[in-house]
Amino acid sequence: MDIVACIKRVPDTSEADIIKISPSQKDIEKDRLVFKINDWDEYVLEAAVQLKEKLGGTLTAVTVGPKDWDEVLRRALAMGADSAIRVDQDVSAEDPYAVAIILEKVIRKLSYALVLFGAQSEDFGSGQLGAMVAEMLGIPHATLVTGLEAEEKKVHVKRELEAGTLQSYTIELPALLTIHTGINQPRYISLGGIRRAMQKELQVMSLSDLDLSLEALTPMVRLEKLELPPKGKQAELITGAPEEAAGQLAKILKDAGIF
Amino acid sequence: MSSILVVAERRDHALADVSYQVLSKGRQLADQARVELLAVVAGSDVNAHAKELARWADRVLTVKSDRLEGLLAEPYQRIIADLIRKRKPGIVLMGHSSFAMDLTPSLSVELGIPLVTDCVDIFWQNGDVLVTRSIYNGKVNATYSFAQSEIVLITGRVGEFSVEEGRRQGQVEEIEFAFEEEFDYKKFEGYLEAEAGGVDITQAEVLVSVGRGIKDKKNLEMAEELARVLGGVVSCSRPIVDYGWLPSERQVGLSGKTVQPKLYLGLGISGAFQHLVGMKGARMTIAINKDAKAPIFNVADYGIVDDLLKVVPALVDKISELKGKTE
Amino acid sequence: MTLTDFKYGDVIHRCFRCGYCKFPINWMDVNNCPAYARFRMETYSCGGRLWLTRAWLDGEIEWSDHLADILYSCTACKNCEVKCPLSFNIDILNMMVAAKGEMVERGEIPSAVKDFLENIQRQGNPYGTSRTKRGDWMEGTGIEEYQGQEFLYYVGCVGSYDTRGQQTARVLGKVLQKAGVSFGVLGNDENCDGNEVKNLGEETLFEMLAEENVAQFRGLGVQKVVTLSPHSYNAIKNDYPGFNGDFDVLHYTQLLQGLIRNGGLDVSGGYNATVTYHDPCFLGRWNEEYDAPRAVLRAIPGVRLIEMARNRNGALCCGGGGGNFYIDLLGGSEDSPARRRVREACETGANILAVACPNCLTMLEDAVKAEGLEDKLAVKDIAEIVGEACGIK
Repeated sequence: MDIVACIKRVPDTSEADIIKISPSQKDIEKDRLVFKINDWDEYVLEAAVQLKEKLGGTLTAVTVGPKDWDEVLRRALAMGADSAIRVDQDVSAEDPYAVAIILEKVIRKLSYALVLFGAQSEDFGSGQLGAMVAEMLGIPHATLVTGLEAEEKKVHVKRELEAGTLQSYTIELPALLTIHTGINQPRYISLGGIRRAMQKELQVMSLSDLDLSLEALTPMVRLEKLELPPKGKQAELITGAPEEAAGQLAKILKDAGIF
Repeated sequence: MSSILVVAERRDHALADVSYQVLSKGRQLADQARVELLAVVAGSDVNAHAKELARWADRVLTVKSDRLEGLLAEPYQRIIADLIRKRKPGIVLMGHSSFAMDLTPSLSVELGIPLVTDCVDIFWQNGDVLVTRSIYNGKVNATYSFAQSEIVLITGRVGEFSVEEGRRQGQVEEIEFAFEEEFDYKKFEGYLEAEAGGVDITQAEVLVSVGRGIKDKKNLEMAEELARVLGGVVSCSRPIVDYGWLPSERQVGLSGKTVQPKLYLGLGISGAFQHLVGMKGARMTIAINKDAKAPIFNVADYGIVDDLLKVVPALVDKISELKGKTE
Repeated sequence: MTLTDFKYGDVIHRCFRCGYCKFPINWMDVNNCPAYARFRMETYSCGGRLWLTRAWLDGEIEWSDHLADILYSCTACKNCEVKCPLSFNIDILNMMVAAKGEMVERGEIPSAVKDFLENIQRQGNPYGTSRTKRGDWMEGTGIEEYQGQEFLYYVGCVGSYDTRGQQTARVLGKVLQKAGVSFGVLGNDENCDGNEVKNLGEETLFEMLAEENVAQFRGLGVQKVVTLSPHSYNAIKNDYPGFNGDFDVLHYTQLLQGLIRNGGLDVSGGYNATVTYHDPCFLGRWNEEYDAPRAVLRAIPGVRLIEMARNRNGALCCGGGGGNFYIDLLGGSEDSPARRRVREACETGANILAVACPNCLTMLEDAVKAEGLEDKLAVKDIAEIVGEACGIK
């Protein structure tokens, strides 16, 4: 089963106080940040490699980004991808539509039965990209997949709804799935493994290789500005006798949509 | 623009909570811009829902169809796309639910319209609609505008918009829709409810987490109760596992699991470094602890400094009370 | 890799199950292997692991989560190596590390170990906390960055990030200041020493860390290093020379011993307590330093030093080695080595359990709480005891 896995590189922003908005207000300062593969994409690669181990076929990893994004492709190669493609264009902070247009062009050049994306990314988390590409390719899709069984011509997937409920679908290939965390346990990639993967093929493409121009990627959504959300450091303390405080807290939880 | 269209979502024969939320937001936006608020609901039994939606919307469009079982996105997409082409609403609003994640990107591409998802704010500025999203693990807010586009597609974050009282009596309009295709490339096989036993706390949206402040194994019961009314699961800090009161699969923290629930409710947890490392990604953190200096109050959004053995039973009662009201 | 490719393939079967690997200093008990003490099954002893590794590499058994847990439950305490009467004993730990290395290469390791290693790769510490916070422990102490002073005070990950470890790092820094020692720290630029990484089998990552650290130290002109943790002491002293890193390395107890002896540090303030000392594996069995910490304690007026039956090279490991202070495969039971150890400490009648390692500190302090012994026994790092004795708050 030939598989294409689309992955990306993101900054590790789980610690709040290291994020600074740049003076332009259109980006964050990245020099103090550590970068890594998007969490969801680790599950994508693990799922892809497991399918490859079981059913054979080729696995191609694809990304759209500048040179330092080679890192995530090397990781994919170390995990078992046969080849990797990077389109040298930095559009990740734009409208996902622009990235989708590029990926559609790349994927159309490849042979595939299954296209995998992470359900969303840690940085922008819009969760749109995979399903957009599916529509552009004209293939069926399912998002938030947490269970996957593949046969030669179709896949059985479980996708996540709310409150722990899952829905089950059977989808004919070729198809596109966006993978949610928890579907498997991504294996560890040793540093030695990554070094050895340097031998494998990593192809770099430009927009013109795909018959695309920057004009074609003009985003429909425009970033106006970035800012830090207002937030106090200390917890807001709810006072009063247990009954009273409990009542206030219950209301807070309800308003937050917890129940 | 002439109208705002809210796409309502049904789950288990009821309208999804998030639909009420975006409907309220839509009402507010429509009032501010003096345009009509439309709502659309599709499915096999939509009349009851139509009446509900008419309390907010000026006009409710219903589409009766048996093909929408299992929330298959594709047939829904055909219906909504057709509607959008015909009615040309300036804004199409939906809650950012799992279903919306399956549906809205395809709609965006099919119609060639911009889509911004999971918005925490939607507002007017000089006649244009702008949205705000929360990015980089919730650490940065990003505001977006739309380049020239007649129609924009926006999904709103679940739980972000409050539900205002709906007092209108909108009109209900039935719409016919004839499908031109079978959707046999994708078959719905059924729903699966969450499994009982063998708990995976990393997948829970709500965690009621207990620490040493729980004092005795028998007090776990009240934590279980609280988890039950909140639709969550009980997790714990390491000492509880050490005591043998809960299995290690429930442990959050450095030598336990890392969790990112929507709500993390720490009961009697001091917030030791090793524990915080496992739950710092929680969207909302609430702490109940007798010790005002407990480090967990530095990371919690809300806190109650009191004896959890007193607060928790009261909390269970209050929550049940509030839940009873919406049933 | 198969058994024939495995470096120790032809000696791994030589364990003949005499059980010496589990003894402390004599035949008094068989619970001195921390994993065996916890699980009481041959599987978890050194011999058991060797046989399982052999079977796995030979294809007799398949990899499983359980097998990975068994291998990784080894805390690298070296009790087995020191006690084994056979000539292959010098390679016992190497064999386990090599087996773990094979698991690492295959990507088949416990998820906690995966997190541990990935966190080190990204943020230079196993907790995954940002590098920009590594120097936070120094705030308000006036401790300086290293710029050519006599000593590099190397703190390590646990001392930099663990709350209790930070307290110890601070107190030691203040003690060194009080004694007028010329020293500086790396602050946010400090990177993991790699000792645990090596014992977890990630050889390439360890090499990268060692190379980077050696380059950093040499670039700064470092000649003498004093470490907070015995783990750092072990790596920098014994492994870094293989990467052209030749430094004079001291564990802080060795430095303090000298300072007290030549009058550079005044501990006459005293410390009134009955103290029992727990030998850390990486200072004791790994580097045979049993005396300096004891000398420091004895030099403090008011300290009544009393030994546990299992001491020096017979000490029971706290269970925190081999990454286990993080991955915690030996926790969750009253048979956990840390809990056994604190019960043993209590039995001596001591009211203070002194340690010289931030890992031991966390492990044993948690064990005291689990045992409910808080009013009988307090766990203190020697640096804290010295701190009090020389009047530091």
